[in-house]
Amino acid sequence: MQRREVVTGSLVLIVLMLVTLLPFISLFTTALHPSGSVPLGIDWPANPQWGNFARAFQVADMPVLLFSSTIIVVGVVPISVAISTMAGFAIGHLRIPGARALFLLFLLGLTLPLEGIITPLYYLVQSFGLLNTRLAIILPLIGLYMPFSVYWMRAHFVNMPSELSEAARVDGASTWDLFWRIHVPLARPAIASLTILLCVWTWNQFLLALVLVQDPTQRTMAGALGAFQGHYATNIPLLSAGALLILLPSLIVFLVFQRQFVAALLQGSVKG
Amino acid sequence: MPAASAAGARAQDRPATALRRSRLRALRRANWAGWLMVAPALLVYVIFVLQPLVITVQYSLYRWDGIGASQWVGLQNYVTVLTDQNFIQILTNAFQLILFFCVISVGLGLVVASLIRRVVTGRVGTAARTVLFLPQVIPLVAAGIAWSWVLALSGVVNQILGAIGLGGITQAWLGDFGTALPAVGLIGVWVLLGLCTVLLLTGMGKIDPALYESARIDGAGPVQEFWSITVPSLRNEIAVCITVTAIAALASFDIVYISTGGGPGLATMVPGLEIYQLAFVGQQVGLASALAVVLVLLVLIVVLPIQRMTGGEPL
Amino acid sequence: MLSFASATFRRRPPGRHGTIPAVVAAALLAVACAAPGTTPAPASQAPTAPPAASAAASAAASQAPASAAASAAASSASASEAQYCGTQPVTLNAWFETGFQLPFSLSQEFTKQFPNVTWKISQDQFTNLINETPRLLAGANPPDLVRLPTMVTLVKDGLLKNLDTYATQFGWDQWPSSELAQNRVGPTGVGSGSLYAMGLNYSMTGVFYNKKLAAQIGMTQPPQTLAEFDALLAKAKAAGLQPIMQWNASASGGGLAFPLQDLMADYGPASAVNDWIFQKKGTTIDTPANLQAAQHLQKWIQAGYFPKDVNAIQYTDSNGRFEKGEGVFTFNGDWEDANYDKQMPGNIGFFLFPPATAGGTYAAMSSPLTYGIAAKAPHADCAAFFFNWVATNPTARQIDVSVGGSYPGGPPDLAVPPAASGSIINDTLTAAQQVFKDNGTMGFIANATGSIFAQGWTPELQKMVGGQETPAGMLKYVQAQYLQELGS
Repeated sequence: MQRREVVTGSLVLIVLMLVTLLPFISLFTTALHPSGSVPLGIDWPANPQWGNFARAFQVADMPVLLFSSTIIVVGVVPISVAISTMAGFAIGHLRIPGARALFLLFLLGLTLPLEGIITPLYYLVQSFGLLNTRLAIILPLIGLYMPFSVYWMRAHFVNMPSELSEAARVDGASTWDLFWRIHVPLARPAIASLTILLCVWTWNQFLLALVLVQDPTQRTMAGALGAFQGHYATNIPLLSAGALLILLPSLIVFLVFQRQFVAALLQGSVKG
Repeated sequence: MPAASAAGARAQDRPATALRRSRLRALRRANWAGWLMVAPALLVYVIFVLQPLVITVQYSLYRWDGIGASQWVGLQNYVTVLTDQNFIQILTNAFQLILFFCVISVGLGLVVASLIRRVVTGRVGTAARTVLFLPQVIPLVAAGIAWSWVLALSGVVNQILGAIGLGGITQAWLGDFGTALPAVGLIGVWVLLGLCTVLLLTGMGKIDPALYESARIDGAGPVQEFWSITVPSLRNEIAVCITVTAIAALASFDIVYISTGGGPGLATMVPGLEIYQLAFVGQQVGLASALAVVLVLLVLIVVLPIQRMTGGEPL
Repeated sequence: MLSFASATFRRRPPGRHGTIPAVVAAALLAVACAAPGTTPAPASQAPTAPPAASAAASAAASQAPASAAASAAASSASASEAQYCGTQPVTLNAWFETGFQLPFSLSQEFTKQFPNVTWKISQDQFTNLINETPRLLAGANPPDLVRLPTMVTLVKDGLLKNLDTYATQFGWDQWPSSELAQNRVGPTGVGSGSLYAMGLNYSMTGVFYNKKLAAQIGMTQPPQTLAEFDALLAKAKAAGLQPIMQWNASASGGGLAFPLQDLMADYGPASAVNDWIFQKKGTTIDTPANLQAAQHLQKWIQAGYFPKDVNAIQYTDSNGRFEKGEGVFTFNGDWEDANYDKQMPGNIGFFLFPPATAGGTYAAMSSPLTYGIAAKAPHADCAAFFFNWVATNPTARQIDVSVGGSYPGGPPDLAVPPAASGSIINDTLTAAQQVFKDNGTMGFIANATGSIFAQGWTPELQKMVGGQETPAGMLKYVQAQYLQELGS
């Protein structure tokens, strides 16, 4: 009985895993077919065209895209993490006057779909003269990340014992000392998780890039992939190769930081 | 704010001692420093989220092509959004997607999580957790490209159907009126299943193992265990999953944009894509904004009752 | 999923649940009632006058490469490159349509002749360009040269450069008026008024066929009437062939609009269709003649003349499959000539959509390959010079024909360069002459307004394929959409 359960359960999981991997496998075999051909869904080619990856790398201008995406991530993530950590500390630990109202104000943004504000965002960014620049993605993204980030960091700080701070206060520590010397080092795991999550979300951001930046070389990876699809819709093998290349960085980040990723999730739901 | 903090200070002032007073001064300093610490986050949030939200409401009351002069139309855009057949279909589509995204993702997530937790505890389970989570990590655009290829007439799905003798039902799944929306729904399940699984697994970690042991002693099988222990204990986690997947369904954009463009007809058109098309293709900013406001409210209407359902417990 | 950031992992808000709706309500109520669009668009300005012709003509001619001097001499106006583009390095910011080689080839040749001009070319699919054009033109980097899908709203919003001054200077107003008519916008709509765009060449549409498959169903000569064409389609179906290969997916837009419009021109006058496309007041697409046309198309759909997955077929897939032998006929334009010549040499044929009755006049969609200049373009003069060069330079005209496959237009006294013998281009050029002779050129019903294709024709045609819309319902809906967009 026990054994049969295990076998059935394993089978179910294996089938689900195969279904999950199916699109990746299909992309992969398709990417190896001669450029411009229309192969079957999964069909190992007689003569795999590994060169398609090199070609997609070249025609998609991959180095430029990697550079652009990296700039955007570097522009968004450290600032978001820094200011949300400060805000989370002030709201969750210092319990400043109005902390509760502030927190609710941030919570309001948690369910807000980006489509709800994308139109004015366009005109706002236009009025700043930032359309078609990376700042058009960077600045709104920082704002958009605030609800989740503040919420996340607050959840960490709210659980820190206040005795810790009081002791430091008695020793004459300023509020900033308290934050920077005592609490930030203790918050490292929460900060690390937040950083990883924000990196991946930024990398994958599509709608903002689509609307605010026309030039693919100024976009995020996902936005650039949309443009790449516009160019090479004709060429299914090349498009598949490009799609694989573009999702590779996210995949690598995930596999490397898997533990932190899952830890982040666990934390999020335990503390949340 | 000064008034509020003063009131707070007075309240604490009552049993005034010298020590208290000095601590209070420190506290007040901290309060102001605290506000400074919140300021940057609050500022970007107000500028790039709250302000556009208010402007959306403002736009929604006008007829405007986004460039020229605008014309006040009152609530007319809302009347259109809530009565026009096409808009009703678009909103209905979104709710149908909720069924797929929520019911299947959460249902299947529960099964998978219990399997990993209770039955397949070995390497297969760990691998499944990682693999099922993969779609969460990659750009949805890439997922859209991959799936439009998988579901195409010459794609894998039809290839498999042909191989098992079901060649007769092969079709362009994303191009058919009957199958396009369910197909998009299943892509959503593919994306969300891993997330739900991991969230539910976490919840299961908090269930007292003794519950299961006593159930086993009473002769309960895995199915009974699942219904009588696992599901009730996971009420909160299930609520989180439903919230996340419902928002994902209502606010879907990337996958639909890439895989179907909303077609055929309006079969897969969702509010997000329609907002984009109205505002940036059709130059009907007012109408787009009215739909945007409706979407924001819909999300709240769907999500808040779920919060209440689990209600009661503090965070 | 866009709101992934804000949505994922969230938990119940703490405390009383009633607070959030209250905050939301407060925020929404706090709405300023100021009108949007407070910054009015710049009014359409007269183009900056190019430097006086006499100024540096001789000096510039000596600086320009020999070929440029030659071409300048050939052109009707005594325009030199340096006068319009300067002598310093210039980078033209251009937006081209993906999948069409012509503008790329022309730009390369232009740089070859005038090395101080280089290009920053961005490209996207036509449907995306439709979406992006207004924002591109209004944005911070207004393009010097951009593929235009539709003009009226853009002109109304003052986003396009008025080309009248250039037309006088370069002598474009001496060209056949039919060439420029579609690029003029005036108070009564398109067709007359000021010039806002130029055609790189003038495309022709019709029916391409696979010669081998056509022979297989006994087609010895192109059909002369609609009835003959119907018979051929039925034969193809009976022979187990795919009668028509066409695209109709949302990403490319509904390609069934091609046969639909051809049918419209058979059941009614082409001019009525044009009036609607050019937004003449009081016109409607919902006419008895157009209803017959739509019903005819519906018959084709129900007879299975289109692929069963046509709603999922994109433009490029459709061509790919046609080239591989799937489909006897396909409705398309001469911009695909070069591609067909290459992919199915000797096996590709072309005919104009036949008239309803034998000996009737021919009508076909023929659009200038329309490019415009942003009102705020930094190098408008140079872009205008490029337009003139395309129409008058022998090499450019040759590229127009051999790469673009279309009638190059320009001054009537210039010869039309021949295409390679055996090329399908010669067939489409002949056809173009026929249509121009019959005064049967039409715009494209998909270009009538900015979003009539994406919001009107495409979903409605898809629904008709899916059996979810009637011909009458489609016309009614599209007309309503048209009126809504025109704001009347």
